[in-house]
Amino acid sequence: MSELETSEIICANPDCRIADTGKCVEGMERDKCPHYGHAPAERNEVPEADSGIPLSAGGTLTPVETARLLRAGEARVISVIGPSDAGKTSLIAGLYDLFQNGPVADLAFAGSLSLHEFEHVCHDARAASRRDTPHISRTPRGEVRFYHLDLVSPTYGRLSLALGDRAGEEYRGAIDDISVVADFIEIPRVDTLTLLVDGERLLDVGARHNLRSEIDLILQALIEAGAVATRPRLAIVLTKLDVVQASADRARTEADFAALVANIFNTFSGSFSQIQAFRVAASPKDDSVQRGTGVPELLTFWLESPPVPPTAAPSAQGASRIFGRLKEREDAEATI
Amino acid sequence: MSERSIVIIGLPESGKTTFLAALWHLVTARDMDTTLKFASLGNGDRAHLNEVAARWRDAKEQDRTATGGNRLVSMNLKDAQEAQVHITFPDTAGEAYGRMWEERECDEEVAQTLKAASVMLFVHANRIQAPMWVVDDAALSLRMGIALPAGQEVPWHPRLAPTQVQLVELLQLLTSPPLDVGPRRLAIMLSAWDKAAGEGLAPSAFLGAKLPLLAQYLRGNGANWDARIYGLSAQGGDYDAVDGKGVANQEAANLRNLDQPSKRIRLISANMDTSDLTEPLAWLMT
Repeated sequence: MSELETSEIICANPDCRIADTGKCVEGMERDKCPHYGHAPAERNEVPEADSGIPLSAGGTLTPVETARLLRAGEARVISVIGPSDAGKTSLIAGLYDLFQNGPVADLAFAGSLSLHEFEHVCHDARAASRRDTPHISRTPRGEVRFYHLDLVSPTYGRLSLALGDRAGEEYRGAIDDISVVADFIEIPRVDTLTLLVDGERLLDVGARHNLRSEIDLILQALIEAGAVATRPRLAIVLTKLDVVQASADRARTEADFAALVANIFNTFSGSFSQIQAFRVAASPKDDSVQRGTGVPELLTFWLESPPVPPTAAPSAQGASRIFGRLKEREDAEATI
Repeated sequence: MSERSIVIIGLPESGKTTFLAALWHLVTARDMDTTLKFASLGNGDRAHLNEVAARWRDAKEQDRTATGGNRLVSMNLKDAQEAQVHITFPDTAGEAYGRMWEERECDEEVAQTLKAASVMLFVHANRIQAPMWVVDDAALSLRMGIALPAGQEVPWHPRLAPTQVQLVELLQLLTSPPLDVGPRRLAIMLSAWDKAAGEGLAPSAFLGAKLPLLAQYLRGNGANWDARIYGLSAQGGDYDAVDGKGVANQEAANLRNLDQPSKRIRLISANMDTSDLTEPLAWLMT
């Protein structure tokens, strides 16, 4: 009998959590994935004689690594959510790139465990890529990944920022089946839920209606599934401001965004401790709008002290359960 | 005699070997008042130091093929109180440090040297790869009426990352397992300072202006790094190619005409303008 025919769910990719989530980290079908059904390699295997000493990978953090980071000191967890192509990775990469020129607001860069991956995602917006227009690749489907930044400021001292990034298709999928929200393990611990509204799509007179519907229903799914019961802060962010401002439909789009924000406030304000709207151009296509416009204001909002969760709320139990799962996973990994 | 080791790190061609060459000349020539002085040749192989110093005196560039491997060099020096110290430096090719950024691993031999309590980080002040963005290039092209060529995309490679990012990561790796040894002193040597002096900036201001991410990182990590910034001109100007090919450099000829080669050296910091290359060593070891 082949390994694929065994009943145990195993995968040779150490980053894949298919046994827990039922999903391939590469977003592939089980019968197409070359790692599925094969036992993972031993993590403590002796390196080959001619290989060097492995160093920190500098990539995005897994939920377990992020949980470890949260326990180490003051931190904020930010979940950037929204439909596909809303600009989630552009926002995260654009924030990092602002620090290349100096402090942002009164916040200075103090380190990152994700430096290598930040550079990777920023490459296609950099001149070294020799592109004629900036580009940021879409987030692949799979488990949420966290970008990490350490920041220092006179106001907050030193703190860590964990920025959760997940494929937009998965958030969109919550509309069809709210049970998938249980996999969004980044949401229950989040300090600020950051909901992106694609400015380019809002400009489209036809697409805007579906966009508003998707936004409303994504929030509805998260609330209904109990994922935001800690009443985090909510940032509603209009992205691609450069495209909006260059359009003849700018006024109508701005009005649509204001109406969308008002509707969210009226419908969902009870689920969030604070709701605030932002307009950003994290990685504009031209220089009509300054690169990173609106991002410092959003960053300042992210860093404000997290709301105190209601002590007896079932959500707190939910959050504890999530961290319990992360702890169990970490303990399990530590024994390998 | 006490034993100290100082690790000299930096990306390729950042001036590490030239510093060692100038330092060995300076202490063995004994023609300048220095904080640390030559004590003895002592036992051990000094061939590499003599070779690179000879090339430096001839105003010839260091031969990268001859300096490409990992070498451990040492000097017996003494302080003003005649206390002797045996200082060990690795002369490691910058590619080894580039590999740490690009391939996320380092050789066992290099890892051992990276555990020294004191670090000198060399940065070529005239070869800083600054971050630049497509949007700025495109805007400039538009203003000049020259379209950016399409279809020439270059795929991602870590070596394309800005210099300041690679240097921050190098320092971060030194404060993370398996290379972490606790708080350390760090001398940042902005080499080829004669090429950067035209900017009219002090070394620390130059670092803030040209390497702002690194400057922020250092300010935010004072608990890990007790840092000083130096501007270093260890050659004094451009040297001739070591293979004798190419046009003879007038600057090199002028430098050879100086009666005291030690006078080619210039080290600048916040309150100092000297030829004494041992000053940072003395500070690193206190």
